[in-house]
Amino acid sequence: MTWIPPLLVAIPLLGAVFAAGLDHITPTVVQDALVVAASAATTAFAFLLLWHAENHEVVHWFGGWQTRHGVALGIDFAVGPLAAGMCAVIGIVVTLALLYSLTFLREAARLFDALMLVALAAMCGFAMSGDLFNLFVWLELMGVAAYALTGFTVERLGPVQGAVNYAITNGVGGYLFAIGIALLYARTGALNLAQIGNTLSHGPAGGLVIFAMTLLFCGLLIKGAVVPFHLWAADAYAVAPSPVCAVLGGVMTDIGLIGVARLYWTVFDAPFGHGHAVGDVLLWLGLVTAVLAGVMAFLQRHLKRMLAYSVLCHIGIMLAGIGLLDSAGLAGAELMFLAHALLTAGLFFVAGILHVDHTRIDELHLHGLGRGCWVPAAAWLAGTIGLIGTPYIGIYLGHGLIDEGANHVGRPWVIGLLWLGSALAGAALLRAGARIFLGWGDADDPLLGEPLEEDPRERRVIRPLLVGVAVTAVVLGVAVSLVPGLGQRAEYAADRFRDRSGYAARVLRDRPMAPPQSLPVTIRHTSFESLLYGGGATIFAIGLAGIGLYRRRLPHSVAVAAGRTLAPPISVLRGLHSGVVGDYVTWVAVGTAVTGGVWALLLHG
Amino acid sequence: MTRRLRLALLVPSLLGLGALFAWSITGLPRFGDYRGPYGYVLNQIVVPLRHSTNVVMGTTFDVRGVDTMGEEFILYAAVLGVTLLLRDEAGGGRVERRTRRLRSDAVRLVGVVLIGGGLLVGLWLVAFGYITPGGGFPGGVVLAGAILVLYLIGSHRDYRPFRNEHVLDPLEGIGAGGYVVTGLAALVSGMPFLTNLFGYGQTGTLASAGSIGILNGAAGIAVTVALLLLFAEFLQTYVVPLEPEDAAS
Repeated sequence: MTWIPPLLVAIPLLGAVFAAGLDHITPTVVQDALVVAASAATTAFAFLLLWHAENHEVVHWFGGWQTRHGVALGIDFAVGPLAAGMCAVIGIVVTLALLYSLTFLREAARLFDALMLVALAAMCGFAMSGDLFNLFVWLELMGVAAYALTGFTVERLGPVQGAVNYAITNGVGGYLFAIGIALLYARTGALNLAQIGNTLSHGPAGGLVIFAMTLLFCGLLIKGAVVPFHLWAADAYAVAPSPVCAVLGGVMTDIGLIGVARLYWTVFDAPFGHGHAVGDVLLWLGLVTAVLAGVMAFLQRHLKRMLAYSVLCHIGIMLAGIGLLDSAGLAGAELMFLAHALLTAGLFFVAGILHVDHTRIDELHLHGLGRGCWVPAAAWLAGTIGLIGTPYIGIYLGHGLIDEGANHVGRPWVIGLLWLGSALAGAALLRAGARIFLGWGDADDPLLGEPLEEDPRERRVIRPLLVGVAVTAVVLGVAVSLVPGLGQRAEYAADRFRDRSGYAARVLRDRPMAPPQSLPVTIRHTSFESLLYGGGATIFAIGLAGIGLYRRRLPHSVAVAAGRTLAPPISVLRGLHSGVVGDYVTWVAVGTAVTGGVWALLLHG
Repeated sequence: MTRRLRLALLVPSLLGLGALFAWSITGLPRFGDYRGPYGYVLNQIVVPLRHSTNVVMGTTFDVRGVDTMGEEFILYAAVLGVTLLLRDEAGGGRVERRTRRLRSDAVRLVGVVLIGGGLLVGLWLVAFGYITPGGGFPGGVVLAGAILVLYLIGSHRDYRPFRNEHVLDPLEGIGAGGYVVTGLAALVSGMPFLTNLFGYGQTGTLASAGSIGILNGAAGIAVTVALLLLFAEFLQTYVVPLEPEDAAS
């Protein structure tokens, strides 16, 4: 079944070519059908690949350039269950977004569809590639498509600024990544990940490898919007059309993390795997991101910005899971990605429906306007609960596995902080839902800052289609924690993903892999501790949402004291998210220098 | 952030990064002391195995052909993106700039020479890409540049055929899609994607290197048309049509 991996790239690219090239010739219906079919076929092949990858890594050498005496000449896609699963999730989210945009975006629809398909191909290629430079090619390709999609409503100033901030910050990331490639290639003379890893496993690593790792990881973390590299994300999400947000927030931002995991366990595990320094830095970056983004989400009134920070919060939790350098942690990150991608996409779809109904996207402007829209309201509530991680709903199973990983590696103190992050972001979403769909709370709140410009355009849409797509995404996301056998398979996939020598032997020497013992098909249960944390986070989020809604009814002394303590840090936080791209690049430089400095101190010698 | 604060953060960070970079450079092999087997192996195998005397092309279009496919689509997506962002909805906000028909014969003569020479050089770069230095990417840029000179020495009307999107869009599709279809053809024949299917021919002649020639041609079309599409978008956005008295002259 080695013929499947290239199809996941070739089908969407050909679809894009047909959509854009035959724009003036074929009727709209044919074009729409073709675009959705290309995306759906990619998803179907990804599932087929997932099924075949369970027993061994599916390796495809492009051009038939197999390895000669263990030296990789060509480029390979090496696909395990984790990469295939990623492609399947990406395919589902992009297909849903394309269905949603059939009526949502009428003008320039062909260019939009073509760019979405190009982004789909690039993400699948990135998830599967086993070659360092090839990773860079897909990274840049998805970036170029995403910049243009972000600036879609170009007649207004906001989208142009958002897209420019996005392009410049991520361009710097690509530049860092490229220098990292050059350094590693000069040192090892290889571009294949397995071969670089093998070369680096002999002899001391030295400054070159440490700095190359810093550059590669920071480049990916800019893509993944991890604090302090995250500042572009809210600007870009706030201005992009809802279906683009669903793809950006659901899958494209998270994919940077998969790059980090892939590079660590194929390359940098060899020289640095004996210690915990690399993992601990990633863990700390993840923790800071989870909590800070949770707080920022609570301070937003623009629904898309709020969702953007909710995405960043979950990215932080996933990065922490990866940074534990443990199978349970990585499996948790995988399952969180799955649930989070679908739920986030669903919530962006609901936000798009609100915007269509009321031409508003601001929580306070929408106060009470959603009364009576029971289906979108239910989807919003279910999505929010799923993103908090209430026991056995949505991201819960993934979060529980990360808890187990943290206990394994002796860092139990991270668990509480990670749950705090998802509770904070969840509280913001709950508060917004209650205010919009139930009309609870005050119609004005100075804590949430100034309103942003509203997009005034009206559209003619098939509303049931939008609602249907949103509900589908949320239902799929909510059900993740209850799928029998999924947890066990994620753990097995994580074990395989972390086995550097097994991967290298499979890729470079075509060695067979030991088939897995039969995996059980039961619902995976988590520890009692996770149950308590999940329940606690839910109650905390509901309480905090209530405070957000009825802040004015707090006793006067409490309100004054809270205002005094919280106002200065909040204004500093807001000041940091300035919207000025020069600041963003400055923070990228600071983040890269500090990360590199810490690794240089910890790993040298 | 104020300018001063930004500098206070940026300067130490850049100094730190510079120090780390200097430290990492000490780990590089000395000049001329290439470590890996990759370059040596490629230099040895491309000519005998693929009959392409340009090893760079053999590498980019065969051994690492899928990278080049991705890069071609980066250009493709960039052009789609520019078209998307510069699309004309309201018709307002244009930069007004009149253009006149050129009246200097000397410039026109130089232009004609440039067009003729540019087209020849471009076609040669594309066609002989796998034999001598060149290839679809640089050749395509030269071709598109030569065509743009027509705009410089002629008028809107002379250039009109080269900005017709109804022709350019399908052509661009053929260039970009041709690469993917060549790859899929190998897959359908039961071989890995982008396998060099066709006979490798006589080394050093135009009939050599197998599907490298086809991929190279596809890239040449894709790059030429991509640039023409870009020029068309820019011209449409920034240049208003000739005024009647100019058009009449």
